[in-house]
Amino acid sequence: MEVINALKQVLSAESLLTSDEACRPFECDALSAYRERPLAVALPSDVEQVKAVLRICKQYQVPVITRGSGTGLAGGSLPLKDGIVLGLSKLNKILKIDPLQRIAIVQPGVRNIVVSEAVADYGLYYAPDPSSQIACSIGGNVAENSGGVHCLKYGLTVHNVTSIKIVDMDGTESVFDEKDDGIDLLALMNGSEGLLGVIVEIKLKLLPKPEAAQVVMAAFHSVGACADAVTRVLEQGIIPAGLEMMDKFSIMAAEAFAKVGYPTEAEALLLCEVDGSHDQVQVDAKRVADILTQAGAYQIQLSQNEAQRIALWKGRKNAFPAVGRFSPDYYCMDGTIPRSQLAYVLEEIAKLSDKYGLKVANVFHAGDGNLHPLIMYDANKPGELATTEAFGGEILKLCVDVGGTITGEHGVGVEKLNAMCHQYHTPELEIFHGIKAVFDDTGLLNPGKAVPTLHRCAELGHMHVHHGQLAHPHLERF
Amino acid sequence: MPQHKNIDNQVMRWCEQIKQAQVDQQIIQISGHHSKVLRDAATESLSTAGYEGIVSYEPAELVITVKAGTKLSELKAVLAQHKQMLGFEPPDYGDSTIGGTYACALTGPSRPFRGSLRDFVLGTKLIDGQGRYLSFGGRMIKNVAGYDVSRMLVGSKGSMALVTELSLRVIPLMEERSYQMEMSENEAILLMNQMAGTSLPLSAAAYYEGKFIYRVAGAHPLQTNRVGVTEIDNDIWVRLNPFRPQLPPDVKLWRLDVESTTPAIENTIAVGSCGMRRWVASKDKPNHPYTTLWQAYFAPRHNDTPRVAHLKNGLRDVFDPHHIFKQM
Ligand SMILES: Cc1cc2nc3c(=O)[nH]c(=O)nc-3n(C[C@H](O)[C@H](O)[C@H](O)COP(=O)(O)OP(=O)(O)OC[C@H]3O[C@@H](n4cnc5c(N)ncnc54)[C@H](O)[C@@H]3O)c2cc1C
Repeated sequence: MEVINALKQVLSAESLLTSDEACRPFECDALSAYRERPLAVALPSDVEQVKAVLRICKQYQVPVITRGSGTGLAGGSLPLKDGIVLGLSKLNKILKIDPLQRIAIVQPGVRNIVVSEAVADYGLYYAPDPSSQIACSIGGNVAENSGGVHCLKYGLTVHNVTSIKIVDMDGTESVFDEKDDGIDLLALMNGSEGLLGVIVEIKLKLLPKPEAAQVVMAAFHSVGACADAVTRVLEQGIIPAGLEMMDKFSIMAAEAFAKVGYPTEAEALLLCEVDGSHDQVQVDAKRVADILTQAGAYQIQLSQNEAQRIALWKGRKNAFPAVGRFSPDYYCMDGTIPRSQLAYVLEEIAKLSDKYGLKVANVFHAGDGNLHPLIMYDANKPGELATTEAFGGEILKLCVDVGGTITGEHGVGVEKLNAMCHQYHTPELEIFHGIKAVFDDTGLLNPGKAVPTLHRCAELGHMHVHHGQLAHPHLERF
Repeated sequence: MPQHKNIDNQVMRWCEQIKQAQVDQQIIQISGHHSKVLRDAATESLSTAGYEGIVSYEPAELVITVKAGTKLSELKAVLAQHKQMLGFEPPDYGDSTIGGTYACALTGPSRPFRGSLRDFVLGTKLIDGQGRYLSFGGRMIKNVAGYDVSRMLVGSKGSMALVTELSLRVIPLMEERSYQMEMSENEAILLMNQMAGTSLPLSAAAYYEGKFIYRVAGAHPLQTNRVGVTEIDNDIWVRLNPFRPQLPPDVKLWRLDVESTTPAIENTIAVGSCGMRRWVASKDKPNHPYTTLWQAYFAPRHNDTPRVAHLKNGLRDVFDPHHIFKQM
């Protein structure tokens, strides 16, 4: 193929994968139910090569799917049959660390955890901490505007990035910086899912490591009381560093996996971490414990030292794999709702679980209302993935209906295109398509992701009118 | 498809006004209480003044939704009743509205520690240049569905859309104390950067009139134990924000955004934002890439690369294809 030959001129053989075998690891991201074999995988080693690949792809009108570490959970870096995957894992250098200014400048392929490790000696760290932080790339974090356990207090990726450099299909570089005036293009790039440009350099804000941290574990006899307790804490003027909730199934699974002493008879468990100066942490931990007791917690435990703190978190951090041991497959949702709706939405999810005959485990970022229901299913049972997706779709619809959103941190990708039709009207979608066209008039950057076509939404609308009878059943649907 | 949104009468009238302006080929200047923009006789004016009030506020959700013409003073008062505040401490030029503050991307002294205005924006309702009423983002702290239009429009200065409603994240009102220490500008720049890298919960740091001034939030070690440190009133931050020094008529005020550790710049009269902002008083424009002439209204810098200018113009066409809204 001409495009492959052209790419061979700028990339060495080991940086251009074309065989089935070599391409296989790039066929999907962490949403592995969706797979596609790309034309080829380009693995440039520097920004000049990235530009060259983009120019060639433009010349031959070949779509480009940018990929970081492929840990995305929404199919954002799912290849296209006739497209090139642009893998940035070789752009993995930390270009600058300035401890006095508290910034680091990194290439996009640098893994999230590596930044905090590299600056630890200065008493600094990079705050956004997705659970996938040992693997996911900073470029991918920006493209998804990723969050983590600590983002209630320290913000999402968008709050911790002060400048980025992007490259467009012409190979032209642009810098978007917090010091710019006029509209905020830096903010726009966060969460743009690889549709607006290839991010090739990122300046990160570093924070001083908190002097102290303490976690309060509270067990509840009911999910409702636990959900209300979340509201009580925030109402009292405390912003915890982390505020995570687990339901009965997750508690059981996590305890079986990590053996950290979670009360397995509890209906719901709350882990609330406070951090800051020694003085402040002492005050806050005590207040949190009091508030949670008043809110109906029947058992409270405060970590007495760092080892205990880490142990209490260990169960939570391993909850996903722990739940995974009880089911051949699980499907992770990402809806976000107003906290006041937590109890109601969890109840509704339980009802849906009965309706679809699929178990759900709830372990999530309660502090920012970000749910991660894990639907347990078996991909080998015919039709069960489809049932799971229908169940998931209903959960997202529920989130939108209570004033929330279909995705808090994982992005739309290909997975939530239909749900986007539920969240946005036609004019907003038109604006989104307009924005895409301004940045990428070729339409070659990660086409078909993140924003549904108006046609698709119109068809979905049609679908509802006809009581589930699909219009044009021969057309492909994700 | 989602349900139809509730549209109030004023929003409907504005939609009509904008559509009519397109027919009449009339340019519209959006303003609040004119605390930051000069009136322009050549344009039709559209004022959000009076379009005010809290749309919804549940303190436990840490989110408030307000109409764009709401005065900052009112907004702050409502939040204070529930022991909450705006984390970005916007400057109040006298009757400043939240919409105008958003449009001009104005943040106060807490910016390096708590974030800038756009960091607190969760959602907007707006009318575009075709008179369409649109909604972006929402009231969630986390939301990555669709491009982040409500943050992107921060700083758009009324040139792309009429923002009618804003949802903002709010933070608990903190007990804070302010301190000062005499020293040279360069010593202060070094010290504020060093302190920001420690666990001391700083919420503001500046240099003004020969003194390093800083503010600490919440429980913290007594600062007056440090040699040369005295406690001062917190209202120093209101006096510096907005920064409106008395200058001789031929001297201009320039706002420079720099790397926080940049050594003292000539003619600087105040250092803000923990070193990231420098206020320079001089006749001529300081030679620095991020320099803005600071007057009653804000002059844009116009120093974008061709590609960035192309992107901005393109985005303007997306929101306002007929160029109804006046450019700053
Ligand atoms: C076990 C597990 C736990 C997770 N936990 C969290 C969590 O706590 N919080 C959270 O937010 N997410 C979480 N995720 C999701 C995922 O890790 C994040 O979305 C992450 O940011 C993706 O990074 P990546 O490098 O793997 O990106 P990829 O999956 O490779 O790509 C993601 C998207 O970004 C685009 N992209 C990647 N790099 C660039 C670039 N340089 N320029 C332009 N576009 C680019 C891609 O085209 C794609 O659309 C989790 C995933 C797993 C598997």
